[in-house]
Amino acid sequence: MSTVAQKRLFHEYKNLSTNPPDGITAGPITEDDMFHWEALIEGPQGTPFEGGVFAAELKFPKDYPLSPPTMKFVGGGVWHPNVYPNGTVCISILHPPGDDPNHYEHASERWSPIQSVEKILISVMSMLAEPNDESPANVEAAKMWRERRSDYERKVRDEVRKGLGL
Amino acid sequence: MEQTFDLPDSTDWLGTPLSLLTPLESALRCQVCKDFFDNPVITSCCHTFCSLCIRRCLSTEGKCPACRSSDQELKLRRNWAVQELVEAFQNARPSVLDLAKRAATEDREDAEVGTAQPASKKRKVDERDGSNSEVSEGRQTRSRTKGVERQTEPATMDVVEDSQDEEYVPEDGLVACPICNRRMKNEAVFQHLDNCTGDPVPPKKISFGSLQPMSPASRTLNKAPERLPTINYSLLKDNVLRKKLKDLGIPNWGPRPLLQRRHTEWMNLWNANCDSKTPKSKRELLHELGVWERTQGGSAHPSAESAGSVMRKDFDATAWSTTHESDFKQLIANARKRSDALVRTTIPSAAPAQSQESPTVEQPVEATIPTNMQKPEQPLVDLTSAAYPKIQHAQEPGESEEPYTLPG
Ligand SMILES: [Zn+2]
Ligand SMILES: [Zn+2]
Ligand SMILES: [Zn+2]
Repeated sequence: MSTVAQKRLFHEYKNLSTNPPDGITAGPITEDDMFHWEALIEGPQGTPFEGGVFAAELKFPKDYPLSPPTMKFVGGGVWHPNVYPNGTVCISILHPPGDDPNHYEHASERWSPIQSVEKILISVMSMLAEPNDESPANVEAAKMWRERRSDYERKVRDEVRKGLGL
Repeated sequence: MEQTFDLPDSTDWLGTPLSLLTPLESALRCQVCKDFFDNPVITSCCHTFCSLCIRRCLSTEGKCPACRSSDQELKLRRNWAVQELVEAFQNARPSVLDLAKRAATEDREDAEVGTAQPASKKRKVDERDGSNSEVSEGRQTRSRTKGVERQTEPATMDVVEDSQDEEYVPEDGLVACPICNRRMKNEAVFQHLDNCTGDPVPPKKISFGSLQPMSPASRTLNKAPERLPTINYSLLKDNVLRKKLKDLGIPNWGPRPLLQRRHTEWMNLWNANCDSKTPKSKRELLHELGVWERTQGGSAHPSAESAGSVMRKDFDATAWSTTHESDFKQLIANARKRSDALVRTTIPSAAPAQSQESPTVEQPVEATIPTNMQKPEQPLVDLTSAAYPKIQHAQEPGESEEPYTLPG
């Protein structure tokens, strides 16, 4: 039995493997469970995340793509205003238009069934480069980013180095 | 890491001389389900989706998923032209793809023999094939009138009749199969539907359930199916809603929110079926409702359903690292000795197709992403703050490029 969600996820998987965007790798952890993916994202150049490789976990609801997946960085090390201390990513594309925790978000930036894993991952790359501190998931990181930018960047670089085992 | 994909996809054309068919095939696929359009309908904002896909979107959110303008399912209109296109394309696809793949293999063999740079040789080959229409002409001119004829075929929906009024229902805690009327536990109904022979239980003194078994008489009625109206659930009391579901011939057990969701799904399945040139039988629709019930409805495993709110803490690092070990090692290695060149991270098995593919496409900058029209023009790794707004914009569903959006 293959549902709409499974088929759709399979299409996305196939597309991402044959045609991956720069700096992004993603796919299901096992092909038996299309609802649980792993992604690797390179830290964008020109940002303190540059040189890092970040692993994240994506979980898809059964009614995907009507509802968006959730995304969580695993293994820690992402010190960022829009990433909860436990790694969960909080950006507009991961929120359905109905649910608007961040009132500044335009509906157009939020989840819609024609969005995709690829667009989410590209958004997350953008987010790493350009935090949105209006409603931070990590208040401490947001404060640091706002008030002590060089400390923030140093901390991020340290985490990146640690993550690479250097 | 060999991957086996058995689902036909627009990317099947990549790596063949006909890679330009990738965006064409993408345009013939629904952006919601990524499948070929199935009973395509056009919205009042002029976007096309499968009838069922857009109905599900509209009953979830009330907005077009492409442009987010408000729309109503009442305004959906069938898009016959797209349907014909899809049918014609699907008909031609296997043989054209076969030809293209054989051509690709021959090219590879040529390239292995030759001493010239593979990349430049490949490009020449592709240019030649791109302008060569021989391959497809024969099939493109095939006229297809089948679809038009079929439109007028009488629908074969079973008419649900409101036969019973307040009939006696045994208090056995069981429910009747909507097809054969055998009584069974709630949870067993959908499973049973998969095997239900449809043979009605011999009529007894007591009538079970409101839906009569399909009688030959009702089967030959051949009335066009009537669309189901939307219901304002807030105006209906529990027992009225339950009665309604029963009258529709769908299971009416479960808590109130499930009843509403089940009714909505049924309405979408039913009304989408009304858009079909070859409507399915009610039994097939019930089967589809059963699939829904098992994955998202009353028989779904609640743990899977709540994935949205519960993030598993014990992420299986072992499984992950075995699957992605090589990727990860490569990424780490790249990261360590990063030069200023763009680092491409690919799943290893995809790499060969990729490198053959890049030169065949006439896109100026992003040769690495040959077919995705909605790609940000900026290289992704160059995410300076100046580039950021552009990227954001690229995520917004734009009107013009819509049909070419690739899944991701
Ligand atoms: Zn669809
Ligand atoms: Zn629209
Ligand atoms: Zn039955």
